[in-house]
Amino acid sequence: MKFTKHPIFIATIMAVSFTACTDDDDATTDVQLEVPTNYNFTRNGESTVNFSGQTTRILMADELNDRLLDFSIDDELLLNQFSNENDPFSSSDLNDSDKSIKSKVAASADYFSTNLTLSATIKNTLESWLSKQANEIFPFQDNSAQAGEAGQLADGDNVRYVNAQGLEFNQLFTKSLIGALMVDQTLNNYLSPAVLDEGQNREENDSDILAEGKTYTTMEHKWDEAYGYLYGTSENPANPNDKIGEADDYLNKYIGRVENDEDFSGIAERIFNAFKTGRAAIVAKDYDIRDEQANIIQQEISNIIGIRAVYYLEQAKSGIATENWGTAFHDLSEAYGFIYSLQFTKNPATNQPYFNAAEVDDLLTDLMDDGEDGLWDVSVETLSTISEIIAAEFDFTIEQAGS
Amino acid sequence: MKKIAFLLIGFILLNSCESDSTDTPQSDTFDRTELLINWADNIIIPYYQNVDVALSQLRTEAEDFTADPSINSLNNVRESWKAAYLIWQRTAMFEIGPAENNDLRLNLNTYPVNATTIEANINNQNVNLTLPSNRTAKGFGTIDYLLYNETTEDDIIAQFSTEDGSALRSAYLMQVIDDMQTLINLVKEQWQNSYRDEFVGNSGSSATASVDRFVNDYIFYYEKFLRAGKMGIPLGVFSGNKEPQTLEAFYEGTLAKELFLEGLDATRDFFNGEHVNETTSGESLYSYLQELNELKDGANLGDLINDQFDLAFTKVQELDTFKAEIEDNDVPNDMLGAYEEVQRLVPLFKVDMVSAMSINIDFVDADGD
Repeated sequence: MKFTKHPIFIATIMAVSFTACTDDDDATTDVQLEVPTNYNFTRNGESTVNFSGQTTRILMADELNDRLLDFSIDDELLLNQFSNENDPFSSSDLNDSDKSIKSKVAASADYFSTNLTLSATIKNTLESWLSKQANEIFPFQDNSAQAGEAGQLADGDNVRYVNAQGLEFNQLFTKSLIGALMVDQTLNNYLSPAVLDEGQNREENDSDILAEGKTYTTMEHKWDEAYGYLYGTSENPANPNDKIGEADDYLNKYIGRVENDEDFSGIAERIFNAFKTGRAAIVAKDYDIRDEQANIIQQEISNIIGIRAVYYLEQAKSGIATENWGTAFHDLSEAYGFIYSLQFTKNPATNQPYFNAAEVDDLLTDLMDDGEDGLWDVSVETLSTISEIIAAEFDFTIEQAGS
Repeated sequence: MKKIAFLLIGFILLNSCESDSTDTPQSDTFDRTELLINWADNIIIPYYQNVDVALSQLRTEAEDFTADPSINSLNNVRESWKAAYLIWQRTAMFEIGPAENNDLRLNLNTYPVNATTIEANINNQNVNLTLPSNRTAKGFGTIDYLLYNETTEDDIIAQFSTEDGSALRSAYLMQVIDDMQTLINLVKEQWQNSYRDEFVGNSGSSATASVDRFVNDYIFYYEKFLRAGKMGIPLGVFSGNKEPQTLEAFYEGTLAKELFLEGLDATRDFFNGEHVNETTSGESLYSYLQELNELKDGANLGDLINDQFDLAFTKVQELDTFKAEIEDNDVPNDMLGAYEEVQRLVPLFKVDMVSAMSINIDFVDADGD
């Protein structure tokens, strides 16, 4: 995987429909993919695209994020929003939904179907941060934070609220949820052959047998559900890139942020094109092309998590040098969440995360253990060390990611 | 997104036009120590002293007003607030050393202010104004709110005399002024007692030298606080939506243009090394450019900058009040036109001037969150 500085060139390549051979026995006919300009797919004049469940979960997560700095509430509401219990949301549509954020956290087929202990640990960790936000930070709203004491810190004209070790639990939670919900479900569940080809999915897709009462085959729907975790709250979900980054507080936002770094421009287009091409391959019943496109998405989304982890580690250095603690700790709290999210990435060459849970724990321990007051004591050298360890596993450099 | 796109475009444009002066660079023999001495002794410290005096006057008038609220005492405290606010515009660019360490600019003049927080603070009594979350509830903008949040003078007077909580309101006005005086005193005294020598002594040319750092602070102020904060954001240049409620001195309603012009004049005077008395001058960014004999397209860069300052000043001066320009015009074309002239100074500073002086720009457009 190389990062190119010529996104138009790439886009042009991706935009042309291409041909490939099918791999079944009578593979003599070329399959012509019809890759649309926008993410529109129809059957008999009706749309076959649906990802309403993903839209619902992103909306739940956005509302939860808004509540994380509502000092008038306690942790019960935050935990209820996480698990959608006791009508915790402002909209009845969300309250009445049978879906919740929690049920899909660390819940992918590839990583967690036989690793329920780790799944439970991750859910507990995210819940503990919600409780700590309410119990370790809210009570100290009007305290000036200092080493060993929770309270508020200035970050330019923003105010940051940290615990005694300098952590913003709202940032830990939201940036970790990007990995634990959006990335895990997309890369390791809905784009995984284990899900796409589950049961009779291939046979049904090959024979155009639709899901009961639906306009789509089950395989088509699984692919669209992956799409929904990126673009489900976009103003125009079929053509999301003209407002990429504006749709939510989660994965969409950071696709936009990385796209706006000139070192990585073109990444949003590559992801979108891979989604369209892969979906067109399902329609054409070409599962090799489908999986190639899934691998592109897995690679690029994983890059986004790695890039942002390194970006915030590097950005924090100037805040530490000038003792702008609020600025530095905000960066490092975001870095903490993106590092946590690394365990949900997928390297298509190995089908494993770029860093597993134990490795992520080691990195986070390094970040927090330079002294007894956590981020108040962290050294620039420690940040460099962690950046180097992360960048070494990816194809980007610290310089590209760090600014 | 529009903001980011705008910044990106700006970034690309700036980077794509390297200094196109055709002369070969002169060796830089300019005496940076003399420049720093002029800045510190004839400009920065005297202006801090002036703000300090103006705040003392404001305090006196506020004491009189809260002791005996009347049309007369209200007008006096308003006038002294305006006078102090105008002088502050001459110091806002000096965010280095003790001012930077104390976040002076954000502590004294964060706007728009938060009326809800202000009213809550009044009722809570003796709140901690050093908390970052109170920056939108203190400083010049909060005094603007306290003295102008009702249309009529009688209604303001009633808030400080007959209405419930008037004593708390009076106490809060004094607490806000106290906070401003404390900060200005702190910064002024640190300049006088220790930082002046450190500033002047650090006369080299490197990323951490005083001239390099201060030129960065100066351009940063011009671009973000003067150009964007006082004009661009209210105009909706970045968001696409007009935001008159973000104007400086919003409640007073007419002062924003004067405050901008004072700030623009202050950056022009500073560029030319004009002393606090505005009649004499010393070594400056202008004289530095003259010494380097820096040309741009065959013209003298220092003179180009001064001409552009004059054009921008005139264009803004010709406008109605900022509030009227923004609210009374669907598309505020005149003010946008004036903004463009203000904007044209940015590349002259940020590309041509710093390139001539071999100064690196050390701030970037952070992408937020």
